[in-house]
Amino acid sequence: MKATTSIADTSFGYRVSVFADRRFKYLLVWPAVLILLLVAIFPLINLLIVSFQDISIIGENKTFQGGLNYGRLFEDARLWQSIWHTLAFTAVALPAELILGLLLALLFVDRMPGRGIFVALLIIPTVISPIVAGAMWRLMLDTQFGPVNQILGWIVGGPVDITWTVDRAFVWPAIFITEVWQWTPFMFLLLLAALSNVDKSQIEAAQIDGASGLRIFFKIVLPAIKPVLAIVLLIRGLDLFRLFDIVWALTKGGPGTTTETISLYAFVLGFQQFETSYTAAIAFVVIVLLSIIVILALRRVELAR
Amino acid sequence: MPLARSLIGLGATVALALGSSAASAQSAAERAVEAAKQYAGTTLNVTWEAGLQAQDPLLFSGPKWEELTGIKINVVEIPIQELFTKTLAEHRAGTGAFDLLNVVPAWIPDLAEAGALEPLDAFIDQHGYRDELQDIAPVYRDNQMAYQDTVYGLPDDGDVLILYYRKDLFADENHRAAFSDRFGYDLAPPETWQQFLEISQYFTESEELGPDFFGSAQIRVPGLIHFFFEERFRTNGGRFFDQETMRAQINSDAGVQALAGMIEEHQFMPPGVEAWGPIETLSAWLSGNLAMMGWWPPPGRWSDGFFDADVLSFVPTSEVAGKVGYALPPGGAPQLAAGFSLAVSSDSANKEAAYLFAQWLNSKEISIERVQLPYALRDPFRTSHFQNEDYQNAWGNANEYLDTLQKGAETGLLDLSIRSTAAYEEALTRAITAAFGGEDPQAALDQAAAEWDRLTDRIGVDVQKRAYSDWAAKPNAYPN
Repeated sequence: MKATTSIADTSFGYRVSVFADRRFKYLLVWPAVLILLLVAIFPLINLLIVSFQDISIIGENKTFQGGLNYGRLFEDARLWQSIWHTLAFTAVALPAELILGLLLALLFVDRMPGRGIFVALLIIPTVISPIVAGAMWRLMLDTQFGPVNQILGWIVGGPVDITWTVDRAFVWPAIFITEVWQWTPFMFLLLLAALSNVDKSQIEAAQIDGASGLRIFFKIVLPAIKPVLAIVLLIRGLDLFRLFDIVWALTKGGPGTTTETISLYAFVLGFQQFETSYTAAIAFVVIVLLSIIVILALRRVELAR
Repeated sequence: MPLARSLIGLGATVALALGSSAASAQSAAERAVEAAKQYAGTTLNVTWEAGLQAQDPLLFSGPKWEELTGIKINVVEIPIQELFTKTLAEHRAGTGAFDLLNVVPAWIPDLAEAGALEPLDAFIDQHGYRDELQDIAPVYRDNQMAYQDTVYGLPDDGDVLILYYRKDLFADENHRAAFSDRFGYDLAPPETWQQFLEISQYFTESEELGPDFFGSAQIRVPGLIHFFFEERFRTNGGRFFDQETMRAQINSDAGVQALAGMIEEHQFMPPGVEAWGPIETLSAWLSGNLAMMGWWPPPGRWSDGFFDADVLSFVPTSEVAGKVGYALPPGGAPQLAAGFSLAVSSDSANKEAAYLFAQWLNSKEISIERVQLPYALRDPFRTSHFQNEDYQNAWGNANEYLDTLQKGAETGLLDLSIRSTAAYEEALTRAITAAFGGEDPQAALDQAAAEWDRLTDRIGVDVQKRAYSDWAAKPNAYPN
């Protein structure tokens, strides 16, 4: 009897051990999955549910309303205008930040006196909160007291009274200057790290073979930093699509809706006008659009594998 | 026995009468304190506009109330642009985070309909406050307290946009003669917007005053600019809606004239005024660089050095002390422009304690101290405030200041207050800023009117018509 019991115990213990071996990884993973579900999936599901209800400042109708809010999306010219503003600004600011960041990184990739200090100074804008950067540039661009108009005045030899945050011709340039000032250093920093890791021996070999600087850059350097470049573009592209703080601090989307981005519009609708369900529909569509863009972008640069 | 019963009855009646008389001898403030003592040890979370407004409960009323009752006041400072949002969002979430609320009276319909505000009538009667409410200036008392015959807020701030002018310059013989020669009438505080423009032009172009001196400045930032437009629109004869069809009328001639006039004036205001908020305007005024300025009541006090230097260290020292005159803005019917009412959150776990704090703050006895605080922004709102002898002698022409405020409280125009007011104001603000940015005023207002119509259709024409009719029936909705 004792022997039987012992065999049975061993067999049970063995099975437990095998089960634990096979499932242990899941046990380790489930807290993270649970947290992910709580902080990401649950709000997303709730967002989807709310988008099919009719909750606004007028009242809370939590019954299923079909495609009521999604139908409104197509009639909302202000929404499409804000999406257009966001995409157009991204299309201009992203390449500008990339090119400037890359040029700076190429400048600082080689050792030079004071390099550490310059790099540290250059990255300061990135560590500032965007709302603070916006407020700071609002002062810099102040018509009467801002240094920008004063410097322009010295250059042109007369008073310059540009109302950067009001005049339709200047509001986007004001946002562009602030955005590029703040985020080019981010591009610079990551690209500097990428450039520092490019195999120097390949570059030296190419130089010995008589390759031009441009040829070396396009044939050796660029392919080597491509994965970092792709990630940097993706991160900044997503950031620009969510552009809010700087615009809020500088123009609040004005004059009129001239500088209204999708995030700004969603904020005004959701948190100032309490169009809760309609804002949920906008947010859900934006999430879906961004997810598609991210998946396509990752596939394109073969990082998803 | 009958005699004994009669004597006991008589004694009881006398005792009751004496007790009642003793009770009525107490002021509303004292009654609030006595009743609140039962809540000693609790903490009330009170929303207040961030910044100077909040200095009142932080430095004065909060500590004093705690000392009197043992109830601690936790001031939750919220920027004015977010106050409505935060109030409604916390109610929607059912957090009960706030006990006492500072609400702009124009928000009361939306907040009451949402169930965010506690009706106050029962508390007012229970704590004997109704009589003292009669001392509140009628424009605030009759218009900023109740929604559909239920009291939701105690009017607590006499906001009104008045015109400040440099009486030294207006009295200067050289300026008077030069102005009269040029424009053909006497230099005096403007009664029409055309006069305002011409006086601005005169002082801006005056070589004697230098290139950094300007005729006028007004606040132009989103969130506040709609007040200035609404005042001007209505004194031009404009009506917000056609009362029958509820179609928007802001793009009428009165609206276009108001907006075009505001833009025309910019040429005689400091460069970049289109982006100026309260602080820029105030700073330019106190620095002595403006001949006229439209603002709320506080600069009247600060101009004459009636302020706390530490709390207001961010504004320039007044260069205009003793030189300031006060008048109603052109049109003679100033916008009441926001103001605050004290309301109790329907989600509060301490409703009575919150109400009692509001009654105490709002009472004759305490409010006269609060509207004279040298750092806070609460402005006179009771008849007794306007007539208070100490206040009338606070500086050289404080009596003229209080007279102007009282006149403003008689002819003042109510802020538009209907369902979803914030959405209408937001659309209007966008139209105004678009026009400031270069868009044609008519086109900008047409766009805003179309948005107003869509909003009205979404809310329901009948629902909004009812709300608008209630509001428009008030004597101060439009100039008389």
